[in-house]
Amino acid sequence: MINISKTGILLSLILGLVASSCSKGLEDFNQNERGITDEQLLPDFQNIGAFYKPIFENIYKYKEPWEYQLQQNLNADIFSGYMTSPRPFIAGANNTTYNLVGGWNDYIWTVPYGNVMNNVKSIEELTITESPALYAVSLILKVEAMHRVADVFGPIVYSNFGDLSNAGVYDSQEEAYTAFFNDLDTAVENLMADIDNKQFTPFDLSYGGDYKKWVVFANSLRLRLAMRISKVDPAKAKIEGEKALAQPLGVMQSNADGFFVNGTLDHPLATIDNSWGDIRMNASMESILIGYNDGRANAYFDASEATGDIKGARSGVPLLPGYDDELAQKADYIQYSKINDNIHTPKVQLMTTAEVYFLRAEAALRGWAGSGDAQANYEQGIVSSFSQHGVGGSAAYIADNTSTPQDYIDTFNPSNNIAAVSDITIAWDNAASNEEKLERIITQKWIAMFPEGQEAWSEYRRTGYPKIFPVVSNQSAGAIDTDIQIRRIPFVDSELSTNAAGVTGAISKLGGPDHGGTRLWWDVGGPNF
Amino acid sequence: MMIKKLLFCIVLILGVTPLLAQSKTVTGTVTSASDGGPLPGVNVLVQGTTNGTQTDFDGNYSIEAEEGNVLIFSYIGTASQSIKVGSANTIDVTLQEDASQLDEVVVTALGIKKTRKSLTYAAQDINSDELNKVKQTNPVNSLSGKVSGVAISRSASGVGGSVKVTLRGNNSFGNNQPLYVVDGVPLSNPTARQPNSTFGDIGGGNQDGGDALSLINPDDVESLTVLKGASASALYGNAGLNGVILITTKKGKAGSFKVNVSSNVTVDDAAYFLEFNDTAQKNIDDFLNSGVTNINSISLSGGTENAQTYFSYSNSFASGISPENKLKQHTLNFRETAQFFDGKVTANASVLMSSQNITNRATSGLYYNPLVGVYGFESATEQLSDYSNFEEFDSNRRIQSQRWFRGTSDIEQNPYWITYRNPSENDSRKLVASLNLNFKITDWLSLQTRGTYDQSLLDFERRIYATTEATLAPSSGRYILNKQEIVQLYGDIIANINTNISEDVTLTANVGASTTRSTKDVFNADSGTNGGLQFPNVFSIQNFNASPGASISQNSPTQNPFDKKVNSVFASTTIGFNNKIFVDLTARNDWSSTLPAENNSFFYPSAGVTAVLNELFSLGDKVSFAKVRASYAEVGNDFGFDLLDPNREILFGGGLSSQDPIRPFPGTIPIPETQRSFEIGTEWKFFENRLGFDIGYYRTSTINQYFPFPTSSAIIGASSAGLNSGDIVNSGIESTLFAIPVRNDNFKWTTTFNFAANKNEIVSIYNGIEAEGLIEPSFFVITAKGANTFGSYLVEGGSFGDIYAQVVRRDANGLPIVEDDAILQDEDDLVDGLKKVGNANPDFTLGWNNSFEFGSFSVDFLIDGKFGGETVSLTEAIVEGFSNNSARETANEAVNVVDLAGNVSTLTAQEYYGAAGGRNGFTGEYVYSATNVRLAELALGYRFNLGEDSFFSSIRASLVGSNLLFFYKDAPHDPNIALSTGNALQGVDVLALPSTRSTGLNIKITF
Repeated sequence: MINISKTGILLSLILGLVASSCSKGLEDFNQNERGITDEQLLPDFQNIGAFYKPIFENIYKYKEPWEYQLQQNLNADIFSGYMTSPRPFIAGANNTTYNLVGGWNDYIWTVPYGNVMNNVKSIEELTITESPALYAVSLILKVEAMHRVADVFGPIVYSNFGDLSNAGVYDSQEEAYTAFFNDLDTAVENLMADIDNKQFTPFDLSYGGDYKKWVVFANSLRLRLAMRISKVDPAKAKIEGEKALAQPLGVMQSNADGFFVNGTLDHPLATIDNSWGDIRMNASMESILIGYNDGRANAYFDASEATGDIKGARSGVPLLPGYDDELAQKADYIQYSKINDNIHTPKVQLMTTAEVYFLRAEAALRGWAGSGDAQANYEQGIVSSFSQHGVGGSAAYIADNTSTPQDYIDTFNPSNNIAAVSDITIAWDNAASNEEKLERIITQKWIAMFPEGQEAWSEYRRTGYPKIFPVVSNQSAGAIDTDIQIRRIPFVDSELSTNAAGVTGAISKLGGPDHGGTRLWWDVGGPNF
Repeated sequence: MMIKKLLFCIVLILGVTPLLAQSKTVTGTVTSASDGGPLPGVNVLVQGTTNGTQTDFDGNYSIEAEEGNVLIFSYIGTASQSIKVGSANTIDVTLQEDASQLDEVVVTALGIKKTRKSLTYAAQDINSDELNKVKQTNPVNSLSGKVSGVAISRSASGVGGSVKVTLRGNNSFGNNQPLYVVDGVPLSNPTARQPNSTFGDIGGGNQDGGDALSLINPDDVESLTVLKGASASALYGNAGLNGVILITTKKGKAGSFKVNVSSNVTVDDAAYFLEFNDTAQKNIDDFLNSGVTNINSISLSGGTENAQTYFSYSNSFASGISPENKLKQHTLNFRETAQFFDGKVTANASVLMSSQNITNRATSGLYYNPLVGVYGFESATEQLSDYSNFEEFDSNRRIQSQRWFRGTSDIEQNPYWITYRNPSENDSRKLVASLNLNFKITDWLSLQTRGTYDQSLLDFERRIYATTEATLAPSSGRYILNKQEIVQLYGDIIANINTNISEDVTLTANVGASTTRSTKDVFNADSGTNGGLQFPNVFSIQNFNASPGASISQNSPTQNPFDKKVNSVFASTTIGFNNKIFVDLTARNDWSSTLPAENNSFFYPSAGVTAVLNELFSLGDKVSFAKVRASYAEVGNDFGFDLLDPNREILFGGGLSSQDPIRPFPGTIPIPETQRSFEIGTEWKFFENRLGFDIGYYRTSTINQYFPFPTSSAIIGASSAGLNSGDIVNSGIESTLFAIPVRNDNFKWTTTFNFAANKNEIVSIYNGIEAEGLIEPSFFVITAKGANTFGSYLVEGGSFGDIYAQVVRRDANGLPIVEDDAILQDEDDLVDGLKKVGNANPDFTLGWNNSFEFGSFSVDFLIDGKFGGETVSLTEAIVEGFSNNSARETANEAVNVVDLAGNVSTLTAQEYYGAAGGRNGFTGEYVYSATNVRLAELALGYRFNLGEDSFFSSIRASLVGSNLLFFYKDAPHDPNIALSTGNALQGVDVLALPSTRSTGLNIKITF
């Protein structure tokens, strides 16, 4: 008995000791030592600076290229009339034929929220009071990234992002635009207060840390957004537009002012275009560029392997009769014009100086103070664009008052042939109506903004210009009118499943059914003047 | 809390105080009647007292007793004997085997042997002979149909592939594989990777990373015991949550020297795939080979009374059915057992070493998969074999470049090019060294301590030559190297108590503590799809272009590295009353490093009871054995490494990763998961054990799993956040029925049915946890739909394994609705844009195993059936989307369709399936019943009659076949094959290597 008791006591003592030591030191194990801690980020201000690079490289997503393909290339780049896919994905039932693919379009939403807004938030927490100028840059980038998202869906989560007490509540598009203007106010004010600070240089992928250029970009961006709301809220548009033009540092004037991201990775279009052969020139682009004998055609595109000429393809093409499958059809259309390698160097173009001249030309039509002369701005826009691409002959081009967009011929399937949809010429005509002048301005702006399809599609929807070819096949089950063309993308699957209440609120703010035929807030239709 | 429970156990032990009698010392030896050998561990009890002891290793005992007392000798598997103490001081006893108890010893948790009748839970075992009748390179594959409630899916990766085992349904969004325990010590069973995308992994292809089980020599296995429920495994802690498979390996035996040689050759042929037209089928047959698997092993065992040795070596050489798919494997096992100090100390040391090399392991999905090109090849003038000469000289580059009948696309290349110019190689090595010391302190108390070092080295590389399709590699080629080292250190100390409290009450108890540290370190280098190589076709890391397009990383979170430590204390006790009723109690507390410091300790108990009815009541002669059992168990669970506050990843040359890692939802602190399970069962045997059955019911509820919940990225930026939630319930019935309908001198027929039905219910995925900003999610992703319109989701009210697809919209008559010749989607009840079309898991399974012996001949066959469940053939969708090679597209009959206005028209099959198919088409058109019944194994054996003085003690040869034919199958592929042995990709075939039919010869010689 004694032995047993003793042993028992001994055992219980041992186990007691073991038990008390069991919990010690375990917390030290649970961290991956190859990651980087907040403390390790402190040197060289990387705890702030390291978060800009992902923002820069995800407004227009560099990596992976297929994510860019879903974020923009298989929607706005095609809806804008710039490009088309030679491959009728999903047997032709896809975005381009208005059979909108939820699994693709999720990326339009999740890329900016998961890669831009999160990093903007991280920067905001550290800079809003400590480093107002660094905060200002993040605000400009945020507006640049998110107005593109609002221009796709309408209502978006903007002012409530990261706010758990209003989690997932969408702003109406009007509220979002108001917030964009307010954020640009703060940004310009903060930068002007510290304009010569070079602290941002190591982290700047666009302007080498020059805050003056950032202010110029902020002003130009404000002008873009002001023009966007010029039909739905002309008074506010004028106030904001004139504010941009009156700001002491002004808007972009030389091509060096343009907003480009000098990323460290290949341009995603290069991979999609060259490696995958998934994108080619759009027939509308061919109709206008070739119809105009535009010297930029050869700067933008390579000659077709099939015809030897610059050749585009219709968009919204189903799986055509005579082709067994997608690949067989692609094998034909892949021979049409690729995008020239000069367009997809690692530099991603988000706003050109030419665009700003065209904005000023339109501002002049609308009588905004400080915009200058409409014709002078129009012609300077063309000159800027030619010069940006190193193309000569802009003077003759500007003077051309006969060339018009040409009819389109499909060498593989004549059923896709279509007559030109516009007869607008190039040369400025002071006697023309404002509507005609605007078509001229937007047509040239459209050419100049290539390949940034997001802005081109937005301006097409606001103004109806340039006139581009409709889809060959419309599979929207009546939601989208073939001639009016697609107006937006429905709210995404991931939001429906994780933020159903937010989407319900967003649909009521949208003011129409949640499909691709509903016009956005600034998209009021009708004449432009 | 924990200490209290421990004390409870201690008090239980201490509260029992054997009375010691004044008397003389009786000694003796207990031997076995069958072989005359000494029997260690025989219980010796003075009747009517609590005075008892056990025999030592040599069968010797010594006990105080008075003249006239009665000594009771009892031992597992033998009939008890009572002997009156007379004047002699020595009593030697010979115990007879008791047929009714024979083979009724079951190895349970921690390697403790128990009598079957004392088990309060379901356990089923299978011995070496049964396991190796039709030998598989992965021994666990042999369990299918032979043990009820064990769902086995072989990996689609061909030779040397891993295996997916599910016991009693899927409980966890994370790991649902059981724990493997070798000789009482948990085995680290890592897999380098498992596919989780239907499209495929651009970084190397959808690859099975293999598992540790395929590195074990099947001939070293003495027996496998399956402990299905948590009750059985409460003592292994969270690792045993999904059940435990105990592997007992062979040991040397004292006094006999034995050599076993076995050799096994099988030929494997692709047998079960989609119906193609004749031309396409001929091309496929040209490309695929007959595979050959050759497994040879030799083992030597023997020893003296004080030291026994077991040594084995095996090698396997196999070639798969796809070209250049080869396996080379060697295993070495050495085991030494020794007794010191008159058997007071037993030491057991073993070393297992194994190396495996596999080239061109088969991939599924669309990348790096030769079958895409093989199935899609379509030419009026050429054969696929015309492209076996897969390259031609490009004089512009002075390089051999790929040739193919059409332009390569992201998913399609020349299959021979993939074989020879995108080759992959897997190298796996495993080392398990363990030491086990057992100190016999007193008759009733022993102390055991064990330590194991378990290391797995898993290397993978793929060399991708220049002119490979541009989606996969830049023009200079690409090199991928992945090296993983997984180490598990395990140590435990356990006190074993085995005594009689009184004549009627026996007590066995174990109290112990263990610690486990497991680490996984991963080095990964990939020159990338954009980075490229400086010099084409030179495959080394120094040849990478220094570019952010390349990726070089150590322990990138995407590679799931870990460093984890779990400390545990545990106690278990079994109290037997008159050997008729047994009560089982266990308690365990774990401390895990992956949990938050404030919640890192968790306690869980289990309790069970069983009653042996035939000993409690008189049930007549016909009932040889009857018992009922019931048990309840809780098991706690921690979760994965570095989930609480993970840092941003640094990208090679690319700064910080742009996305936030998945963190706990703001404002919540994760807690351990809990599983509660209950089971009841009964087991009966009749007619001297010639007929019997076991039937049981179980219900398991897993709550508070730590999920990465999908959250709106517009709320916190990340698209998911960790949260404890959910209640997943599995309930089911398992039953085994066996009979020996005929048994005489010339003929014996044994037959066994194994039946299991499991019902899985996702009671909730959201527990109503309150946190500011938390929005109730509607589903949780198991397989993301990606770009392939196949997904699997956990949805409240649904089941684990539910399959979702893009479904065609149909009118009231069931006709597909089209607009502008495009098929429209059924948009009702969508989850993530897809609609539920079935479930990957069967409703019930039925295995029928038969063994006939007549003289020297034997015939064994196993029929394995799975009933219910669905499977999707993305293979068929892809073949029909990209070619007209399927039989029905070749026949090209008309398909009726209707437009939105209700006008009926027709499309040809090529038009309709061409549009419905493809890699992201209408997967709803490709859903099949997964029900299948197959002749899983057939073996014809002959035992040579050897003379008494033959050098050989036995020679046995058998003709074996496995997966021989399907009596019923609806799906175009073999639904028993899984693309992944993880949770993803269940119930779908995406261009997996076709399942094979194997036939061969097996020879086993003992001398």
